[in-house]
Amino acid sequence: MKLSGLPYLLKEGFKNIWTNRMMSLASVIVLISCLIITGTAALISVNVRTLIANIGDDNEITVYLQPDFSDTDSIRLGTELSALSNVENCRFRSREDVLKSYQDTLGENIYASMQGEGNPFGNEYKLRLRDLSQYEDTVQQIKALSGIDKVSDRSDIADKLTRLNYFVTIVGVWVVLILGVVTLFIIANTIKMTMYARRFEISIMKSVGATNAFVRIPFMVEAMAIGLFAGLMSSAVLIALYEPIRHAAAGVIGMIRTATLPVDAVWFPTLLAMTGAGLLIGLLGGSVSITRYLHKEGGAILGT
Amino acid sequence: MIHLENVTKVYPNGTHAVRNLTLDIPDGEFVFIVGPSGAGKSTLLKLLIREEVADNGIVEVNGKNLMTMPRRQVPYLRRTMGIVFQDFRLIDKMTVFDNVAFAMRVTGHAESTIRKRVPLVLRMVGLSDKAKRKPHELSGGEQQRVSLARAIINRPALLIADEPTGNIDPERSVEIMKMLFNIHQKGTTVIVVTHEHELVRQFGGRVLRIEEGKITADVVLPMHFPNGKKSADTSAKGDSAL
Repeated sequence: MKLSGLPYLLKEGFKNIWTNRMMSLASVIVLISCLIITGTAALISVNVRTLIANIGDDNEITVYLQPDFSDTDSIRLGTELSALSNVENCRFRSREDVLKSYQDTLGENIYASMQGEGNPFGNEYKLRLRDLSQYEDTVQQIKALSGIDKVSDRSDIADKLTRLNYFVTIVGVWVVLILGVVTLFIIANTIKMTMYARRFEISIMKSVGATNAFVRIPFMVEAMAIGLFAGLMSSAVLIALYEPIRHAAAGVIGMIRTATLPVDAVWFPTLLAMTGAGLLIGLLGGSVSITRYLHKEGGAILGT
Repeated sequence: MIHLENVTKVYPNGTHAVRNLTLDIPDGEFVFIVGPSGAGKSTLLKLLIREEVADNGIVEVNGKNLMTMPRRQVPYLRRTMGIVFQDFRLIDKMTVFDNVAFAMRVTGHAESTIRKRVPLVLRMVGLSDKAKRKPHELSGGEQQRVSLARAIINRPALLIADEPTGNIDPERSVEIMKMLFNIHQKGTTVIVVTHEHELVRQFGGRVLRIEEGKITADVVLPMHFPNGKKSADTSAKGDSAL
């Protein structure tokens, strides 16, 4: 195909959109709706993951050592705890510090009587884990070490966060996949209808020696322009509504304000992903329709 | 040059459209193809433009073997031929100029070349003054002339006209036939499929009769050129072919 024909083909592609404006408009509206739902699912998924990561960062577990465990043994135990693969960080808290934290609650007299040998508390370690989903295994490893009295039970939170993360990921992936296929089907159908409307023109093109590539280009331009426009519009809607929705959600769960991503961090990836998805859907949907058409009905010139 | 040898075409529904057909059409010949409906005339044209592929035999058109031709080469074969349809096949939303230019645009010609050549061809078919009209503003004869202009705009070596006078009145039919003869006289091979025996008698030339997928007659009638001259090539068997 000669490049001199390209401006004509591009013009034809854009003319198609206007000629089939009602069909194009319907496709754009449906595509925008699908892309907004897909984008919303993706943004929720990203934010829940961020939220989980933030909660996880604050999620320390406490390892209580036996009260009669000596300071020297406690320091040795600290080295063993740090060596565990899932332990990211290990902070020592002496029995004196633990007692001191109860000073106000106990009152001066009782507090004074508990000093020295009377201190009922043991030393403690505050641990931060790398992966919350391995909480149970790590606790078992800690309990197997000598000198451990008990380990604070945070398994409930760990379990819930892990489940939520899994749920959000699975739902997000399915929403993106299903709506991706739906949008692909919609654009493929629009292009199919456009081609049927122009089958007469296509048969003339083929009769005078137009290559399949030449026949394809205007339809590809149309499909990609519809996809791109829908992508731009849906990203504009998502970006415009992002902050108001985030603020509204923060009114219900306070930590959303600080533990989720601000609009500054999401607008560009959203724009890029939505327009990219629109273009890709246009490209794939258009090319599936055109290839199928040209292989079947598109070859007829003289008719029956 | 068209060369068909022992060509057979059977459609998936079992119809034997062409049976063991052998035919040679040298370059520059004018050929009428006649025969009843369903005789295999359209299938023969489809084989020539490679819309269909024969099941057996040899099909060669303009030096190309159509039996072994890859799909991607078909557009380049079609650029060596022009097709005139019974129903004109003009694009209603385009002007006469654009309908003719369309054949050049889809084959990648530059706009400057298109702007030079289209007016020349429109003048040749007598439609210079109607370049800006839309097809529905023209008579049937004029629409067929636009279709003819589109078929010859890329200077094809072979012109195929499928019932070119089927949708127009007798007077306009003669006009179209004269134009086809003029194009033939400039060296183009012309194949006309028609049901109108009167036109065949009036213009003459080689006449092929097809029945049940076979050539049942191949005769040459005296040619009457549009300028009134008569060719020396004559045959007494003409009427029996029709």
